[in-house]
Amino acid sequence: MNLAQLKKEASPFTFQYISPLVFLTLIFIISWQNTEMNLEGLFQGWHNMQSYMSGNPDIEGSSFFPPQVIGSDLRLYLDAMVETIEMAFVALILSIMIAFPLSLLASRNILTILFPRNSAFHRLMRHAIYGVSIFLANIFRSINEIIWALLFISAIGLGPMAGILALGIHTGGVLTKLLAEGNESIDPGPVEAIVATGASFPKVILYAVLPQTMPHFVSMVLYRFESDVRSASILGFVGAGGIGFFLFDKIRSFENSAVSTIIFIIVVTVWIIDKISAAIRRKYI
Amino acid sequence: MIHLDNVNLGYQHETVLKNINLEISKGEFVGIIGLSGAGKSTLLTSMIANVTITGGPYHVLGNNISTISSKKLREMRSRIGFIFQGYNLVNRLSVLHNVMSGMLKSISIQRAAIRHYSNADLEKAWEYMETVGIEQIAMKRCDELSGGQRQRVAIARALAQEAEILLADEPIAALDPKSAVQVMDILWRINEKYQVTIVSNLHHIDFAKSYCNRIVGVADQNIVFDGTAQQLTKETLERIYQTGMNNHLPSEEDTIPDTWSNIPSKHCPNINQFNPIPKVAA
Repeated sequence: MNLAQLKKEASPFTFQYISPLVFLTLIFIISWQNTEMNLEGLFQGWHNMQSYMSGNPDIEGSSFFPPQVIGSDLRLYLDAMVETIEMAFVALILSIMIAFPLSLLASRNILTILFPRNSAFHRLMRHAIYGVSIFLANIFRSINEIIWALLFISAIGLGPMAGILALGIHTGGVLTKLLAEGNESIDPGPVEAIVATGASFPKVILYAVLPQTMPHFVSMVLYRFESDVRSASILGFVGAGGIGFFLFDKIRSFENSAVSTIIFIIVVTVWIIDKISAAIRRKYI
Repeated sequence: MIHLDNVNLGYQHETVLKNINLEISKGEFVGIIGLSGAGKSTLLTSMIANVTITGGPYHVLGNNISTISSKKLREMRSRIGFIFQGYNLVNRLSVLHNVMSGMLKSISIQRAAIRHYSNADLEKAWEYMETVGIEQIAMKRCDELSGGQRQRVAIARALAQEAEILLADEPIAALDPKSAVQVMDILWRINEKYQVTIVSNLHHIDFAKSYCNRIVGVADQNIVFDGTAQQLTKETLERIYQTGMNNHLPSEEDTIPDTWSNIPSKHCPNINQFNPIPKVAA
């Protein structure tokens, strides 16, 4: 290589750098057009949104502002919010019970600890277990929690349990992918060292893998808890318990001041959870 | 303890060392020297069956490791301690937990899961930490330690294994001269005190000459020297380091600066004549 070649290869204006940008821009433009995105429509229809939010002056409570403050209703919404948080928490534990073992089996480096050799049998086992685990995780997470909720409602009827199972399965799939990515990015050195002591697979996981993935694990689990609380707020739309039941009911009956109150409670709850999560993260990471 | 009879070592599509014959007996302190890429690490890691082995037989602790089963291999590895150049500690765990990880083979899964150790295990760990001078920082996290301290933790972990063989892959390559001397002192002391067989890759010829009672030189895909430090002539070193090609042999000036003058002489008559191992204060 000479200096001229170096200058050419070090330039950021090469096909290699520019082509992804051009490609993404093209996809954006095509998608924008195919989905009939139109900012003009938003500006023109802005006043419709304003009149929807300010409601009908002749109908009491149809405006979003001011939010409705009735003691007995407020108590009802807060109880439903607590139930939503409880649903999210139980679902989170359920999802960890699914995702933790599945994420280990969906991580190539972890499977190499279980099947370290280069023999045909070990290679086959690594591929088969990885494939099945990823397939299961994909099914769990690609089906939306609302669909899972409808399926569970058909089996066990209306109520929070269907919502918990729906959230648990869906989040189990999402967490499997997130935790597996964390597992695959660990430093292989400590694993190599613990394997070299002759420790069994569970002990290698306990001493070499878990301590390394713990910050990522805590971070992802807290993020999913916050996400589960938001999702659980919607599951009531299909009768799967939580504050969503009241939200859906009030939206349908155009009691928008009550809708505002419920949304305010959800936003404040998510904000508090975010603050608590940040404090826990700081302690663990 | 270790016996290689006409063994080829390498990786899936590459043979690094050919027709290797080597016999290492109990209590020896063997230094492996050679250029980077000559196959020192391949030879060392082959002793825990981490590379592709053909030919043979290749016996380690009575097992033919070219045909060993996974279960037997795990059992055999528990009798061999390995010290890595990059320490390979779990940095988020304390010194104690890292040392304890060397004992995992004998700790029940229930105790391991909650990291609750028996008094007997804690007493053993204390002894090993004392041996390498880190008992005062037992509850410190490893990411708060210096390189020399981390290597001492790694050695204590290997000791906790109660290993019969200790393999060290460039244990002092990443350390400053003072820490390097301390680590080599500790290895020598362990070799003397516990009669543990030590096989170590070393970049610094003078360390190998000072500490090892036997030196193995690797070059041209083979062992080209196997003898004592006194037998290691300039011509042999030239062959090991292929200095005919670039006319540069790592001399004492190259490998050990003046400040490294406190390397103890080889074969100290007894362990008490060693440099005292400085305790790390909490």
